Amino acid sequence: MHLSWLSVFPEQLARMLRLLPAELLSQLEEIRIREGRALEVNASGRYYFVTESGELSRDPGTAYKPGREDTHRLLDQITNHSLYTMEEELRRGFITVSGGHRIGLAGRTVLSGGRVEHIRDISGFNMRIAREVRGIGDAVLPQLLDFKHRSVKHTLILSPPQQGKTTLLRDLARQISLGSWGNPEAKWPGLKVGIIDERSEIAGSKRGVPSFDVGPRTDVMDACPKAEGIMMMIRSMSPDVLIVDEIGRQEDVEALAEALHAGVRVIATAHGSEVGELMHRPSLSKLVDPPFFQMYVVLTRTDKGVSFKLMDNKQRSLLA
Amino acid sequence: MLKMLGAVLIIAAGTLAGWLKARQFANRPEQIRRLIQALKRLETEISYGFTPLPDALRRIGSQSGHPVKAVLLRAADGMDGSQSLSAQESVHQAIREEWKHTAMRPAERDVLHQLAYSLGTSDRRDQLKHIETAVRQLEAEESVAREEQSRYEKMFRSLGLLTSALIVILIY
Repeated sequence: MHLSWLSVFPEQLARMLRLLPAELLSQLEEIRIREGRALEVNASGRYYFVTESGELSRDPGTAYKPGREDTHRLLDQITNHSLYTMEEELRRGFITVSGGHRIGLAGRTVLSGGRVEHIRDISGFNMRIAREVRGIGDAVLPQLLDFKHRSVKHTLILSPPQQGKTTLLRDLARQISLGSWGNPEAKWPGLKVGIIDERSEIAGSKRGVPSFDVGPRTDVMDACPKAEGIMMMIRSMSPDVLIVDEIGRQEDVEALAEALHAGVRVIATAHGSEVGELMHRPSLSKLVDPPFFQMYVVLTRTDKGVSFKLMDNKQRSLLA
Repeated sequence: MLKMLGAVLIIAAGTLAGWLKARQFANRPEQIRRLIQALKRLETEISYGFTPLPDALRRIGSQSGHPVKAVLLRAADGMDGSQSLSAQESVHQAIREEWKHTAMRPAERDVLHQLAYSLGTSDRRDQLKHIETAVRQLEAEESVAREEQSRYEKMFRSLGLLTSALIVILIY
């Protein structure tokens, strides 16, 4: 089993986590560490507390409670012993470690000029485990094909957090770049894909080289603000398809519009559970009306796994 | 004849002992200087290069002279290794294992030992302050060491020879 994320934990915690049932380990989504409170893991939408001997418990009283020593060591490890290199990450509140796993941080913020400058006294950690699921896009990609232009349609993937948006996006990037369209009539070769990976989650880049398979014709702009990254990619890397995670700010939307007029196809994700909701969000509503995206994919999570709904630009449901 | 050989041995040993002691006095300020230079380069790596601590220590270490090189490389190895030591532990371990090969005294060791507690655990501004403090303390030690050098280096060198000569005379 590939458990690259275990290596960022200090020995004490890693030992406990390694004792968890193997099946649970392979499905883990989040590991939450709060100083002085119970160690928690989340998998398949459920949460468990972990005892010192690696057993699962519902009672926080019996669980292992990480102390100051544990959190100090963890912070030391995830920052590669160099907190000073993480100033931008601390401003944003999370650190991405090798393997594309993202660790959210909570603590006391330090303000400068009314804006968060960084976080100190960090006592809460939430590690979201990134997972590569090849073929998760198999069912979606054939619906997104644009036969007329031998490309893909502008697509927005919508879902609440933790439903697998990024995993789907990563697989789509790989398949588009590879040219495995999942439809015998789609005979055009793979396209140039540009990923703007602001949080280093899609490609999980380490020193600029992706650690996940994102396809042979894919360029990754790592840790780059989305709006700027979109413009840089268009100017310098001539992508056919741009892949962007979690759009939401005004400048992202403007940059996307720029991409549209540059003849580049865009696949993006946003938080939300319905297309109608987007209308209420000031910056995103501009993307819905007039319609920018030709396709919407709404992800929902059920007990059996992830299911999705497809809608066209007039928000009519399509059968998948 | 045997007596003669003994006398030569005594004089040789005495001279060597004096010479070694003198060299320690000569090496100490030199090594402190190297340590200060290494720390100043660490400042640059942190403030302009944003270089992670293990990389920075390795880079500076490989360009520093003995024995600072050994200390810094050992500290970098501790952080990178599989033992998952914290920055503080790796530096402390490096000091424990490598310090005995240096001519530096406990005063300098304590400065580095103290610095290890804050290394890598705060933002850039704070890191620079800690390193600056350490550099200032080391500079104070350096001037003391230089003074001792000028006072004792020659003395120990001749003392070794003279003492052994005295012993030989007394034996005869």
